[in-house]
Amino acid sequence: MNTAVGTLPPTSAASKPPARRLRSRLEKRPELFTLGLIVVLGGVVGAINPDFFQWGTLFDLLRSSTVTGLFALGVFVILAAGGIDVSFTAIAAIAMYTTTKLVVTEWPEAPVVLVFAASGLGGALLGLVNGALVHLLKAPSLIVTIGTQYLIRGLLLAYIGTAWITELPRRMEGFGKLALVEFQSARGLHVMLPAFVLVLAAAALLTWWILNRTLMGKAIFATGGSIAVAERLGYDLRAVHLFIFAYTGGLAGVAGMVHVCSNRLANPFDLVGTEIDVIAAVVLGGARITGGTGTVAGTLLGVLLVVMINNLLIMAGVPSTWQRVIVGGFILLAGALFVIRRPR
Amino acid sequence: MSHDTPAAPAGGVFLETQGIHKRFAGVHALRGVSIALRRGEIYHLLGENGCGKSTLIKILSGAQPPDEGRLILEGTPLAALTPIQALAAGVETVYQDLSLLPNLSVADNVALSAQLVRAKGRLARRLDRPALRETARKALAAVDLPTADAYLDTVVGDLALAERQLVAIARAIATRAKLVIMDEPTTSLTRREVDNLVRVVDGLRQDGVAVLFVTHKLDECFAIGGQVLVFRDGQCVAEGPIRDFSKARIAHLMTGKALDEGRYRTAAPAPRVLLEVEGLGREGRFAEVSFRLNEGEILGVTGLMDSGRNELALALAGVAPAERGRIAIGGRSVALRTPADAIAQRIGYVPEDRLGEGLFLDKPIRDNIVTAVLGRLRGRFGAVDGARARALAEDIVARLKVATPGVDVPVQSLSGGNQQRVLIGRWLTIEPRLLVLHGPTVGVDVGSKDTIYRAIQELAAAGLGVLIVSDDLPELLQNCDRILVMRRGRIRAELDAATTTEEPLVRAMLAEEEATA
Repeated sequence: MNTAVGTLPPTSAASKPPARRLRSRLEKRPELFTLGLIVVLGGVVGAINPDFFQWGTLFDLLRSSTVTGLFALGVFVILAAGGIDVSFTAIAAIAMYTTTKLVVTEWPEAPVVLVFAASGLGGALLGLVNGALVHLLKAPSLIVTIGTQYLIRGLLLAYIGTAWITELPRRMEGFGKLALVEFQSARGLHVMLPAFVLVLAAAALLTWWILNRTLMGKAIFATGGSIAVAERLGYDLRAVHLFIFAYTGGLAGVAGMVHVCSNRLANPFDLVGTEIDVIAAVVLGGARITGGTGTVAGTLLGVLLVVMINNLLIMAGVPSTWQRVIVGGFILLAGALFVIRRPR
Repeated sequence: MSHDTPAAPAGGVFLETQGIHKRFAGVHALRGVSIALRRGEIYHLLGENGCGKSTLIKILSGAQPPDEGRLILEGTPLAALTPIQALAAGVETVYQDLSLLPNLSVADNVALSAQLVRAKGRLARRLDRPALRETARKALAAVDLPTADAYLDTVVGDLALAERQLVAIARAIATRAKLVIMDEPTTSLTRREVDNLVRVVDGLRQDGVAVLFVTHKLDECFAIGGQVLVFRDGQCVAEGPIRDFSKARIAHLMTGKALDEGRYRTAAPAPRVLLEVEGLGREGRFAEVSFRLNEGEILGVTGLMDSGRNELALALAGVAPAERGRIAIGGRSVALRTPADAIAQRIGYVPEDRLGEGLFLDKPIRDNIVTAVLGRLRGRFGAVDGARARALAEDIVARLKVATPGVDVPVQSLSGGNQQRVLIGRWLTIEPRLLVLHGPTVGVDVGSKDTIYRAIQELAAAGLGVLIVSDDLPELLQNCDRILVMRRGRIRAELDAATTTEEPLVRAMLAEEEATA
């Protein structure tokens, strides 16, 4: 097969100079860039503070990544379909707080699995509303979800409650403390990896499976590639919209419940306000904000990177106020690499 | 066409339309179309822009429902088709944009539709990956594309145009299409690529597939053979085996006029050089482009889609600036780095995609016309002087004979030709010295073409330099003084429009590349 007509550069990577080849490799696998940043960051922090290289650090990272990671998986699915969601934190807050309140008052002995299912289901229903609005109004999902974020948060604080719930039911508290791995470190510190990180692992596997092994997954990427073409090819856009927002809402509900169990506190003012961190993580993980690209692995790496910056720079003596500067710098760097050089 | 047997005889009717009507906001696009498409037959749907061809395709592929009439699909009458119904029934449409998903792999683009059809459009299904790759391999092999894993996993956005076209056809094969509709498939292919495409399509026909070509390349239709359907003003005005028609007769049927229209161009350019371009280049797009344009001259630029002609126009408009070379206007070097620079040099640019790049469809004609000169119309407090804006707009509308009740109606209520006149009118407000017209009559009906051509000639007579970038060869021959032909980013030929014909232009556009070294 002959290659490009015209004087356009050939598409094969072989004939390009090394710098451009690296760029083209990075363009195909942007998560390598994220991984690179993580390694560099870890190396720098570890060089400054040798305490970095121990199991406890890794466990802390995983623990802190769980909630952001669950959110990020949902955001990634919506981004892959060419949309955006900023209401998921509000959904998580209302789902976790309402569920906790109900469990405390109605059925304190409810099994944890059911509690999580209820919170996830509530989140999914609210997500379904997002999806229906985006589809019916044919409105940009950013506008719709800004609206629903305000609505949901207002409803939560006005009608459901503003008081902290500090006395969690026994089983929920137990789940938050349940350890997957636990030991005393050489310095006598108690090191543990909480079991709820498995929730993130399961969600990541499920998301990967849906995106890569089902027709829905392909339909999601197709919609993100070109909504007009996807419609013409017969993809059911209504199903795609309903699914992605419901799925993200469901993950948000579960994330909210993980947040409650790990903090042993249900605070209705929590979570909302962290959307940008999550979207930043997904974009740093290589998903294009314009949709149609990205991977689950990249998303998880993006989350890890943002969590590292937020939690570990303190170990290197970087004041917490600088964390945002660094996240911002990384995003601009990623933007410069992945966005600007696309020819018009 | 490698077979000696004159191919299987045409089979039964696959899809029929009866009395189809379609109206869009005041435009009666289809007026009672009744045609029948048989298996194992190739059809050429011919007609001028705006004759209803694209509307008919949209109805056949389920993208739009007809307002009246019905479709009969393999004997079953239907009021309309949905996209998934059409696909399931075996109607595969290869639009000009190919309907490929640029972010998905070749295998996905080729074979996902087949799985979607098998799942009856329901998405809660597991992907059958081995079957997906197997289907993709078979279909790719049928169009002579590679079937290696690396190729299956290539992202379609990275492929060259001709390959993408074959990928789209492979998708039709993968879904076991019984009717393949191809919208102007050969517009931007080289001759060798066209031959390859024709071979693939003939293979489809021999397998009993009906193929509907939408094209305006008459020579190709005669070379391929089959049936013609000639459309004019939303009606099918003639049909039958193409060998029963002459080229002149088809052209007459399409236009309703005799073929040779004669030249609009009668005036001659002034002796003063207006635009001088020297060694202009933009990485990977065009290179070493040099030419001169006198005042009052009309210069045509043509070439295939990726010849660099479009990019040259964009560079002169400051939209995608040149990286090398010199542009001088009236003897003074100028830098055109942004559209604002071009406007400041009084260069007007009328884009090809007037909907996407040019017009604000839901805004009144007045606002669309004055947008380039808002600065000049500013009143004392920075607000736009409404009375002056209206006067200017009314003057322009009168000069270009835009058919409209007034300047306050939204542009979308106008026909394509009148919309185009509004867009040209906008640039008259900057009192341009140079007007770059990009495909000035794309999607415009015959009558409007006439008025647009007359307007262009009047502008040139008034001393403007006009550069027409177009692939409509008769248009260039009728309107220009000289025509530059671009190929692979360079100017390859300069022809005198008064004495040349389409033949040498096409030859210069398509000439194969081996001889250039």
